[in-house]
Amino acid sequence: MKAQEYDTPDGFYYTKDHEWVKVEKGICRIGITDYAQKSLHEVVFVGLPKLGRVSRTDSLGTVESVKAVSDYFAPVSGEIVEVNKTLENKPDLINKSPYNDGWIAIIKPTDLDAELTELMDPKKYSEFLRSLIEK
Amino acid sequence: MALKTQLFQYHEKHGRTFEFAGFQMPLWYEGIVTECLAVRNSVGVFDISHMGRIFVSGSDAEKFLNYLTTNNVAALKPNHAQYTLICNNEGGIKDDLVVFRLEGRPYLVICNAGNRSKDLAWIKDNVRDYAVKIHEASNEVAMISIQGPKAASTVQKLTEVDLSSLTRFDCRFTKVGGQEYVLSRTGYTGEDGFEICIMNSPLEDPEQALTLWNEVLKAGEEFGIKPCGLGPRDVLRLEAGMSLYGHDITELTNPLEARLDFVVKFEKGDFIGKEAMLRKKDEGVKRKRVGLKVVDKGIPRAECRILKDGKSVGTITSGTFSPTLNAGIAMGYVPSEYSNVGERLSVEVHGKLLEAEVTGFPFYDPKLYGFKRVQ
Repeated sequence: MKAQEYDTPDGFYYTKDHEWVKVEKGICRIGITDYAQKSLHEVVFVGLPKLGRVSRTDSLGTVESVKAVSDYFAPVSGEIVEVNKTLENKPDLINKSPYNDGWIAIIKPTDLDAELTELMDPKKYSEFLRSLIEK
Repeated sequence: MALKTQLFQYHEKHGRTFEFAGFQMPLWYEGIVTECLAVRNSVGVFDISHMGRIFVSGSDAEKFLNYLTTNNVAALKPNHAQYTLICNNEGGIKDDLVVFRLEGRPYLVICNAGNRSKDLAWIKDNVRDYAVKIHEASNEVAMISIQGPKAASTVQKLTEVDLSSLTRFDCRFTKVGGQEYVLSRTGYTGEDGFEICIMNSPLEDPEQALTLWNEVLKAGEEFGIKPCGLGPRDVLRLEAGMSLYGHDITELTNPLEARLDFVVKFEKGDFIGKEAMLRKKDEGVKRKRVGLKVVDKGIPRAECRILKDGKSVGTITSGTFSPTLNAGIAMGYVPSEYSNVGERLSVEVHGKLLEAEVTGFPFYDPKLYGFKRVQ
């Protein structure tokens, strides 16, 4: 697949580990990107994180296909206040709707302004994908 | 450099390929879950040309194979096949295989792809003065497998052999046009199915194999047939409780603890490993291969620890997500005292303890799935 075939919507921030962050009235909804879900293919299990404090780059759990296990990491520091329990019975939402119904957790951030500068905007993330694919 | 089977052209075009046992094989075409469900609910077709195929002929063929393997080759009827093991002198399993007895023809031994060289070397080392001829034909014969409740309906369209006359493990040598085949009612999924060897089909001349593959896809179209990769193949065999060599059975496991003693015929006379196995039988089997169904949500994987009351008692040898059960399932070895169906154990996955229960094989309800299903 070419880099432009991966969806990298506006209004989201991205990490090098292929997580996304959507800032909604000061809180952060997180998930994994279209590139990540396509690489995994059929997602059959999502390990959801526990509620509570996390630091940026902490491992939050795994997203798994039959043959692959992929860790995902906190893109920002703060408190996990909600997790998407629907993923327990419908892990394939990550494939069907990675940026919407397939959201994984909500973090109340503690250092958002500083940490947002570490994240990529859609254009930077697309360039990053291109560099990965066309290596 | 990984070899390509006769069907590589198709895999390259339609599937996600990877390297397995020195071959470029398809992992999946549409997806592992999709392909598993197609086999359990209808029909799927697999390329298994990577496996080993050895012909054994000569006046001592039966005697030699009976010495080499654990099952009783003398009791194997013509046009029938048997699942069997080759063991080393300590009773450890060198390979699991299927021996075909074809009326008036050499025996055909089908072995695991990863053991082609090992098995051939072992055969040559043990042939001694048996009057046999060994013909290694792995790269001259292609092989495909059609599995699922609609496999018979699919394959019947392609052969004059009346499939209702073939019961499980029956086999036939057959000809269609000028092309020779070995057809057997065998498989590695637990479902009804057929395996077809396409004779005189060298790697560099794939036309006959590709033609049959495409004919199978066409014949199965009305049933929603799907081409299936090694990904679904691994899940299906695990759901059926079948071992994978190199994982669940190795040279360090014996047939008694692997619970494969149903294919060890101690009464038949001498065979390699017999003495060692009889000794182990006398000593008592200390650990057993069991099936584990994970009760919590989570996927058990090979090398995860198995625990009883917080204490490590064993290791998982194969683990996966089962689309048929919608749960994690695994095989592993535990001390015999914990090997009974219903025993509650836990498995350690990503540092978390998941509750699991010892189950029998197959994992699925045989009234609903598998070749014994209630139609």
